[in-house]
Amino acid sequence: MFKQSRLLKKLDHTLLAVVALIIIFSLVVIFSATKDDTVLKKDFIKQILFVVIGMGAMIFMVNINYEDLARHMKKLYILNLILLGAVIFMGDSALGAQRWIEIGPFRFQPSEFAKLIIIICFAAFLNSRQGKLRSFKDLMPCFAFIGAPLILILKQPDLGTSLVFMAIMFGMLFAAGARPWLLFCLVAGGLAFVSLWIWAHFWCEANSSFHLWIPLKDYQLNRLTIFLNPWDDWHGDGYHIIQSQIAIGQGGFLGRGLFQGSQTHGDFLPIQDTDFIFSVVGEELGFVGAVALLFLFFILIYRCVCIAVNAKDNFGYLVATGVISMIAFHVLVNVGMTTGIMPVTGIPLPMFSYGGSSMITNLAALGLLLSINMKKQNIMF
Amino acid sequence: MERNFIERKMRTYLIIVSIFFSILVFRLAYLQLLQNDKFSTLARENRIRLVTITAPRGEVFDRNGVKLVGNQPVYTVSLVNPGRKNIDDVVEKLAAILGEDPGEIQQKIDQQKRSYEPVKIATMIPLDIVTRIEEQRMELPGVEIYVEPLREYPNGNLLTHVMGYVRQINEEQLAANKDKGYKMGDPYGQTGLENTYEQYLRGQDGGRQMEVDSLARPVRDLGIKEPVPGNNLLLTIDYKVQKVAEEALARASQQAIKEGYGEARAGAAVALDVHSGQVLALASYPSYDPVKLAGVLSQKDYNDLFNSPLKPMLNRALLPYAPGSTFKMIVALAALESGLVKAGDTISDPGYFFLGRTFMDWKPGGHGQVDLIRALKVSCDTYFYQVGLKIGIDHIAGMARQFGLDKITGIELPGEDAGVVPDRDTKIEQRLYYLDEKSLAKVKEINQRYNDLLSRTTDENERKSLLSKKSDELREIEWELDWHDYDTIISSIGQGDNHYSALQLANYIAAIANGGTLYKPYIVQKVVDFNGRIIKENKPVVLGQVNVSPQNLAIVRQGMYEVTQPPDGTAYGFFTGFPPVAAKTGTAEVDDHEPHALFVCYAPYDNPDIAIASVLEYAGHGGTIAGPVAEDMLAAHLGLPVPGEPQKNQP
Repeated sequence: MFKQSRLLKKLDHTLLAVVALIIIFSLVVIFSATKDDTVLKKDFIKQILFVVIGMGAMIFMVNINYEDLARHMKKLYILNLILLGAVIFMGDSALGAQRWIEIGPFRFQPSEFAKLIIIICFAAFLNSRQGKLRSFKDLMPCFAFIGAPLILILKQPDLGTSLVFMAIMFGMLFAAGARPWLLFCLVAGGLAFVSLWIWAHFWCEANSSFHLWIPLKDYQLNRLTIFLNPWDDWHGDGYHIIQSQIAIGQGGFLGRGLFQGSQTHGDFLPIQDTDFIFSVVGEELGFVGAVALLFLFFILIYRCVCIAVNAKDNFGYLVATGVISMIAFHVLVNVGMTTGIMPVTGIPLPMFSYGGSSMITNLAALGLLLSINMKKQNIMF
Repeated sequence: MERNFIERKMRTYLIIVSIFFSILVFRLAYLQLLQNDKFSTLARENRIRLVTITAPRGEVFDRNGVKLVGNQPVYTVSLVNPGRKNIDDVVEKLAAILGEDPGEIQQKIDQQKRSYEPVKIATMIPLDIVTRIEEQRMELPGVEIYVEPLREYPNGNLLTHVMGYVRQINEEQLAANKDKGYKMGDPYGQTGLENTYEQYLRGQDGGRQMEVDSLARPVRDLGIKEPVPGNNLLLTIDYKVQKVAEEALARASQQAIKEGYGEARAGAAVALDVHSGQVLALASYPSYDPVKLAGVLSQKDYNDLFNSPLKPMLNRALLPYAPGSTFKMIVALAALESGLVKAGDTISDPGYFFLGRTFMDWKPGGHGQVDLIRALKVSCDTYFYQVGLKIGIDHIAGMARQFGLDKITGIELPGEDAGVVPDRDTKIEQRLYYLDEKSLAKVKEINQRYNDLLSRTTDENERKSLLSKKSDELREIEWELDWHDYDTIISSIGQGDNHYSALQLANYIAAIANGGTLYKPYIVQKVVDFNGRIIKENKPVVLGQVNVSPQNLAIVRQGMYEVTQPPDGTAYGFFTGFPPVAAKTGTAEVDDHEPHALFVCYAPYDNPDIAIASVLEYAGHGGTIAGPVAEDMLAAHLGLPVPGEPQKNQP
């Protein structure tokens, strides 16, 4: 199929080792998180299957010529829109949002794959607009490019993934050379604007009969803001945050020991094999385990940055930065959520949370990076 | 793009990521290293469940060991870990099963401050509801059924007013006893001995510590602390006498109603041991069911108990009534002790006494020539009008006070009322309510001024002149502020402001019977712990010795004895086949109602051991209605067939 020895030599072994460590780590923790529950127990086996499929996707991505992808940009972009649109019309809903598509025995989340596709498309798009990113006006087409799929995702509604899209967009714009201050102002301004809007909305609800419209459902709003004061609704929306912090907090320095977490095994911790899996790490393996995991992710990101710097062409460079932005944002927001400093948005921990679509997407993305790495310039960063 | 540009961009990128990662690490360090203790505690509260094992309250026995109050196991429904997410759902389902309002259950949950302790939702759950909850167990996570000891009354309502009732501690009681380890939902004695002896009766709750999961399913037992039962009370009450007293009151009420006294629906009776003050029986009618008060109270039950005009919760043995002629022994003793009247002095009774207006004797035409003993025997009002007027109210009130009639007896029951011994001062007190502010201030000033002057003088004549001047001044404000002869006259037959409880009357009769020693009545002999060790023992307490010569006492006792003797003692006809009994009837006039029926007695006359007082509201003549109550009680005490009881073994 491919020239084995030459290829293997060209692979980034550090990155592969880190990915392997993260996945093994994750399987151990998922085992711990699911072993008491008869239903969830199957998730461990399924996750192993997802890893295998993900590795297949990775190998596939390593073997394609990534430069070809740029040429198929338009087709990919449209395919992406179709997939996302399909979710809205034929998707299964979970927790009030439609995120799943079922094809035969398979059930997948197009919004996960959409992340990788948009990275590839946006990289090609930016590559074609080099030097035309100086002013705000120049950025408008970029916003429109990302905006179309973003609206479909918001329609599901999947706030978490739309935030990931924004992170990818800003990360890649920054890498492509848009003015840092302009980007900073846009991000900061946007955050300030949204915060003010939410605050004003709540203020109006509490103090007047005037209803300030906001494009979010009540449950989304509450989940977004409850992290600021989880005890206000400690048996409602705040429950997840509090139980997660209790789990992490009681872990202490060395943790309560693998399979020994009372929060995990007493089932106090909600959705503990997906969104809140990091809390299991914190509880059972303590500060040491949690920081070790963060360290692994940091090494991963560092290796990805190296690949970006050494990429043969701008397209490769931009794809790499897109993947880095995606992974970094996932880690920051997920860990931030479990430790109670960021809102609950339902963003999984890459290659760590249980879930097939996410695992496959992340491994495929890293496969793409390995492919970029194999064609790198032979100069070290 | 240039390589330099890319490297610069990526360096910045890495720095930004590093900053964010550092924030995460600091956050982790804060949670796991600095706040570790706090979160460990919270985690422990999550998973360690302390299930209280309620200690049984102490049991209560009569003087012969008959169990009066015990405990029985009942089912209670509790909700554990109410912080669960789907709690509203569970509350709704549970409310539907229990037939309660979900809001009330939610309120109970909200009141519980410690979230890791179960919240008691309902007690005394019938078995069919227990079964329904068990059946729907899967849909009711956190709903637990426990077995708890609850008060059981083997004799129904017997002794209810003495024992009082037990109910969940209320917020005020919780606040007042916060150092004593009470918590929401604990049983608490609300009235009666249950209240007075709460600290002895309550046991020490035990507990079972369990490790549970988020659905409160036990994972592991961590240990058990056995509860310590409360201490038992051994009462002075004689079950037989008490039972007969309560039944006789009910019979008396029915009898009076049958005779046309429609309002005769309440009464009281007290029996005391004359040599110790031990209460042998203390009954109040009507009674109530303490079991109803232990659980959820329906609106109807609440109204019946608390808003009924019959006031079944009221302990009428402690409620002052006008004593009527049962007061005459006080006047007789005061007369003899004053030296102004000799036992043999006679008066002629034409059936009335005239002083400004006519004071009627109860017997039209009068009793003819009457001395003291005969006056007691036939309850001659005219005799006591005249004798009372002759000796004056101060002698009478002084004697009444010697018998403790102006004070509460100090029995171990809450809600005792002291009653009124009428004299110049109490008359002013009674009338103060009707005065305007200006007059009130004047009265106070006069009182103070004369009290000062009176305390400085020792001369008897000057005292008299001061008192007469004071009277004049008071009379100027209002005529009825001053004490008048007619006040003395009506007070002498136990009317006017005279008001004493059946307990006070029984105690005063006991002092007459035992030769003048006034004991403090008491109900609890011993407090015994569950190992049989005596925790507290109550001994007779002497409140005072009545300053009356034995001869004078003997004269009055003889008068009381004559009451039960033929041919015309007012209680003649009772106590057939009994040892000799000394008694006195009383028929106390009440404004706008039929008179109260009263009866006091002690027995045996020559060697007394029991004193009894009974009263029936608005029941007419004392002898006919209140007499049989005392007669039945005495029979029960002496082991004789109870005359009032329906004949058994009839073919």
